[in-house]
Amino acid sequence: MFASKKSNAHALDSAVVTQFLEKTLPFNELDRNTLENLAKHATIDFYPKGVKILIQDVSEVKHIYLIQKGGVKLYLQDESGQITLKDYRGEGSVFGALAIIRNAKSSLTVEAIEDTFCFLFTKKSFVELLNTHPGFSQYYLKTFSENYIKKSFSELRKEKLTPKTEGALYLFTVKVNDIIRKKPEVVTPVETIQNAAQRMSNLGIGSLLIKNEYGKISGIITDKDLRSKVVASGLPYSTPVEKIMSSPVETISANKVCFDALLSMMSKQIHHLAVEYEGRVIGVITSHDILVIQGESPVYLFKEIMNQHSIERLYELSMRIPLVVRPLIEEGAKANNITRMITVLNDLILDRILTLMQEELGPPPVPFCWVVMGSEGRKEQTFRTDLDNALIYQDPKDEKEKEAAQKYFRMFGQEAINHLVKCGYPPCQGGNMASNPKWNQPLSVWKKYFERWINVPEPEEVLNSTIYFDFRPSYGHVELGFKLRDHLNSLVRGKDLILRYLAQDCLKTKPPLSFFKNFIVDRDGEHKNRLDLKARGLVPFWDFARVMALRHGIDETNTMGRMELLQQGGHMPEDLYTKAKESYEFQMQLRFLNQLKLMEAGESPHNFINPAELSDLEKQTLKGAFSVISNLQGFLKETFKLNIA
Amino acid sequence: MINSAISPLFFLNSMWLFNLSRKKPRHPVLSKSRDQFSTFNQDLPLDDYDFVVLDTELTGLNEKKDEIVSVGAVKIQNLRIDLESNFYSNICPCQEVPKLSTLIHRISPGQARQSPPIASILPDLLDYIGNSLIIGHNIGLDMAFINRELRNNLGGVLYNPCLDTMRLAKIYREEQWINYYERYNLSVSYNLKDLSEEYGLPVFPEHNAMNDAIQAAYLFLFLVHKLKHGNIRTLKDLYMAGRSWRWMF
Repeated sequence: MFASKKSNAHALDSAVVTQFLEKTLPFNELDRNTLENLAKHATIDFYPKGVKILIQDVSEVKHIYLIQKGGVKLYLQDESGQITLKDYRGEGSVFGALAIIRNAKSSLTVEAIEDTFCFLFTKKSFVELLNTHPGFSQYYLKTFSENYIKKSFSELRKEKLTPKTEGALYLFTVKVNDIIRKKPEVVTPVETIQNAAQRMSNLGIGSLLIKNEYGKISGIITDKDLRSKVVASGLPYSTPVEKIMSSPVETISANKVCFDALLSMMSKQIHHLAVEYEGRVIGVITSHDILVIQGESPVYLFKEIMNQHSIERLYELSMRIPLVVRPLIEEGAKANNITRMITVLNDLILDRILTLMQEELGPPPVPFCWVVMGSEGRKEQTFRTDLDNALIYQDPKDEKEKEAAQKYFRMFGQEAINHLVKCGYPPCQGGNMASNPKWNQPLSVWKKYFERWINVPEPEEVLNSTIYFDFRPSYGHVELGFKLRDHLNSLVRGKDLILRYLAQDCLKTKPPLSFFKNFIVDRDGEHKNRLDLKARGLVPFWDFARVMALRHGIDETNTMGRMELLQQGGHMPEDLYTKAKESYEFQMQLRFLNQLKLMEAGESPHNFINPAELSDLEKQTLKGAFSVISNLQGFLKETFKLNIA
Repeated sequence: MINSAISPLFFLNSMWLFNLSRKKPRHPVLSKSRDQFSTFNQDLPLDDYDFVVLDTELTGLNEKKDEIVSVGAVKIQNLRIDLESNFYSNICPCQEVPKLSTLIHRISPGQARQSPPIASILPDLLDYIGNSLIIGHNIGLDMAFINRELRNNLGGVLYNPCLDTMRLAKIYREEQWINYYERYNLSVSYNLKDLSEEYGLPVFPEHNAMNDAIQAAYLFLFLVHKLKHGNIRTLKDLYMAGRSWRWMF
């Protein structure tokens, strides 16, 4: 060949290709030398729209094709001429690789559906890459579910957040087992309080387990019990411990991570957990034990909220929730864990507000239950989710009580919402709140609401009421909420109509792949060229889990929880469950980090993402994640026989 | 002759006739170029020809006074852009690089001064071009400069036929005209970058001889496949592409 490069010449070489490769999966994992070498041997070809680049069973594949610009479709044609579309590939995608790996003729026909420019790499250089770079070949052999989802998560974490806290935090890696300091100390149920207290102080511990005559752990006493149940109420010190013990003991499995322990303590508002291993209690851990391994933590905030006696102070504390959540993300918490943590903290704020309000307003005339709905109900809150709540109270005995209850709860609902709004939770635009008299009613009225939705469903109304199907009793006399849930389940049994409405609605959302080239984005308005991750990506999962849970009488409201129960009950195939879980978690994570980033930039969090800002890996993962939606919809279609009607 | 003025092979026709009467050039590639292209078969399929897509950056646009400051070229073989052998060099002009042109191509007077003079680059460039057909965007300008230097330094010029992507683009635009009056649309641009953007080609930073050569190569591939609704098979087809429209009126 001619001397193409003079030593004194400034050679640009194939920078065009190298730059492109550096942004393209999986080439971006190769080192620069390899890339430059590959680029040097590349050629560029152009295929006008409509041209068949490879023909099934005919074309010898001599190159792999990397699409620089444009797009192609891949399809199969059987003997009868029937065409089955297999895939669309867009910019940055490769075709021809499989044929080269299998050393066979092209198994698909590839046709340009836009004017397409491709980089062509010779078979030889590609095979060489496969042989010398194991990671590279793996990319082509793995499937979506085991593929790059893990990498994608860690990339999300790394790229979207600049680290703020120093040092590693261990909540998600340290097992409960590892922080047990000694064997559990036990006493018999008939031991006197004084002896027990002496023992605790000798050993320098804060709790004792009580073991009954059958060798079972039947309860626990803690410092707090001695203080509040004995000293404060003047019980004689000779009282047997079984009179003051808490029973049964809350336990946690030894192989759970500390985060789970923390969450369990926080949601039950306790400080001690017995650690269980193969059915035996092997130790006791306290919130303090966890605090010790974890510097700055949600626990402090939790304690502060717990001990707060002024509603006004709660306003500020609730604003601190995003701050304590951040380190968890840095530590590698999945969105699922984080939303659960936020839910626990929000529930606690609610708990304190409602408790303090009752101290102010006096006790309610009849028991009531505060229920939360929508994302709160599903325990999937992100930072600032709209308030969706309602109030159910026990049916009054007579007219007089009815009047009193109505007056009290109207005021109570109104006040509570005022406080919550001041805490920074935006009010629901649709008025789905306990301050709205319609959603502040006795149990019997609530039962009638659901009866109407289910027995004579009006499509419009049903769709507006879907958030009510995700209700979760969160404060007060929770039995009222459970009763309503039972009633709902018995109503739905055998009522196909409403379920079909809901299922049909779930099919309406088209997955956001334009089935080609990136994603469908909004064309105009404030969120132009952005993708609504919530409406396009997440809502179908919520809808799916809701309708399936209703169908099978599952009480759980959390989307992942619902799907897990569906799978365990054999109502959902395992592979669909696994795919759905990964897809859902990835999207939640993406949404979450996006919101956190916006908040840290001083903007108000929303659900829109700009596909152009995503890395290639994220785009691919998201594309895979969205493809699961069609699978879920297909499953619904079959289950509810929607394609027949 | 009127028709040939609008054909993409305009330079092939005009220069060729003019130069054939000259004496035999000294450089072997130049003399071979003359022999080769005095009888030239235009009926072969396009992928049988080798092309070199070429671009130069200049100190200015005056063909008599201004000089070349860089040259970039890329090959097209089998109608595919071949990145294995590119050609690129900065060149030291005899005059100082004017500021105005540095602002365009970003080659500073200092950089130019450290580069080899045109005389030492020309033999390499000739070797590189060989018997390929030459493609460029408004290639007439680049060839005028290159041939002037060749004549001064090596006593001959290139006879290789040249294809102008700008002319091809004009023909393509005429093909696209559905409405007669669109011909009078004054906002039409034949700038390399504007065309590339209009046709949705990958776009590279402009005013670097290498990038512009690659850009023109993309444009050429695009046009060759698109002209005549994709029915261009031979070099002759390409040559004839611009004519039918004028003949109809």
